Amino acid sequence: MTTTTARSPHSVVEALRGERAARPRVDTTSAAGLRGELEDGLFQVLGTITKSEPITVRASSLRQAHHTTDLALSRTGLLRGMLVSQLLRLMSVGVVVVEHAFNDAVDTLRCEGRSLDLLEHLGQLDNEERARLATDVTAHAVTLSRSMGDVPRHWSPRTAVPATQRLSGGRVVLRDVVDLVIGSSGGDVASIVLFDLTTSPLGEGAERVLRYHALVHTLKTSIVPLRSAMFSTATGELWTRDVDFEMLMRSVHEVLGVVEELGGVA
Amino acid sequence: MTTLLHRRYTASSLRALVNDAPRERATLTDDHRRSLTARFRAVASSEHRRLDAWLVERAGQPSGPFNWSPVTARRLIGNAASRRSVARTDLSLGAAVDDEINDQLLRVTSGYARGGSLAYWLSGISGPVRGLVVAEAINWASSTLEAARHLDVAWTVAPSDAYYDVAAARTTLRGRRDLIVGPPDAPAIVRLRSGAPGKSAGPGLRVDLTIEALTNPEGRAPSRIIGLWPDAGVSLAVDGTMDDLRAGARDLVRTAVAQRRQRMVLAA
Repeated sequence: MTTTTARSPHSVVEALRGERAARPRVDTTSAAGLRGELEDGLFQVLGTITKSEPITVRASSLRQAHHTTDLALSRTGLLRGMLVSQLLRLMSVGVVVVEHAFNDAVDTLRCEGRSLDLLEHLGQLDNEERARLATDVTAHAVTLSRSMGDVPRHWSPRTAVPATQRLSGGRVVLRDVVDLVIGSSGGDVASIVLFDLTTSPLGEGAERVLRYHALVHTLKTSIVPLRSAMFSTATGELWTRDVDFEMLMRSVHEVLGVVEELGGVA
Repeated sequence: MTTLLHRRYTASSLRALVNDAPRERATLTDDHRRSLTARFRAVASSEHRRLDAWLVERAGQPSGPFNWSPVTARRLIGNAASRRSVARTDLSLGAAVDDEINDQLLRVTSGYARGGSLAYWLSGISGPVRGLVVAEAINWASSTLEAARHLDVAWTVAPSDAYYDVAAARTTLRGRRDLIVGPPDAPAIVRLRSGAPGKSAGPGLRVDLTIEALTNPEGRAPSRIIGLWPDAGVSLAVDGTMDDLRAGARDLVRTAVAQRRQRMVLAA
């Protein structure tokens, strides 16, 4: 269900919170059905063939069609996205980041010790390219900090939350990283919100990614999240979707489509 | 026969794993301890050996020199923050993490921190990196407390890991534990891990079980050791039986042997 509010929310955080009274009861029963649908579908796609390497599905696999090239997935585009994600992590714990956004983001990315290939790419940029990237990251940081609002500390924001799901006897692996997860799985009403950040404009691929985040989270925790949201720091647009069974089933079919494209036999 | 239970990590399955843990626990006697010590002594080592489940899972392969980073610091700070948050319910997790880091920094300014310690590293990092440490620690503490809130029995956040020094064998064993749950006479141990469990996750849990029993003054094993992998939504558990304790001890000795062989190859 997509809710239309009478007034526009002042900040991303306010939009993520939504109307507390309108939250549905927590759904702990749909996950098994979704898993069953996925397993049945994967058997139809993969048959009994066992490959030496599992087929790995990521959010980026759903973002674009495989025969197209997305400039946001260039190495510089990925690096920019990674740096802005670092800034979101800092903002969510109350660190002010706009003043030295680029340096702060690079500092944290280096310290994190992941994405070594992107750091290597950063090192290879000449002064002009680096300055362009710095300006770009600062512009995205300004959009993010103006729109985000303060994340309340008692929400215990979890950032860069990874997820892995092995399916079909380990022949297919679903991998995902959600930039920000808020809310608790305890309680009678759904309260978990998945928030993703992109430095590209939102498009059809973003919708698929929203659904994918919700699906993987449901499979991982057996609890259907309240909503899945995506914010573009390129346009300042925020999309939020309340998660329901229909949305998750749609994502199941999209995942099956990707698996078929990546290595199915059917 | 050893045990290994594999479940999805949900509130009800975790509750069942804790509540259905066997009440009869195996006990290690002085003979067992002496026998283990003799085996470790037989594997000569020129330097002090430190063995844990991680090393056993990697078959003794060294994983490079240790460096502090937000990821390596998160468990220590996250668990300490969880304890603070449990003790003071008015404290948010973020504030608890901040308090813990401030306490660590206080140790440096008062001269109690050694070089290479977490406190020492924290005192030298920039503001943004400290922000990342806070973010990682909140992630860890949230996972720990989320697991604890699923339980309907008494629980505590473990005050420290379990350490056992094998007498005159230059060997220290370290067992990881994050939550201690259930009655004090038959507790179960919960251990959180990031990522997804590999093929050697079961032996890793057995090693933690054995070290836990060795650190108990009466040699009593926990009723069950439960490994949670929240990223993968999976939980594995091993019962505190004598067969599992033996398998854990055997894997520890084998790892010491493998480690020695690798060092000999490197030296050659």
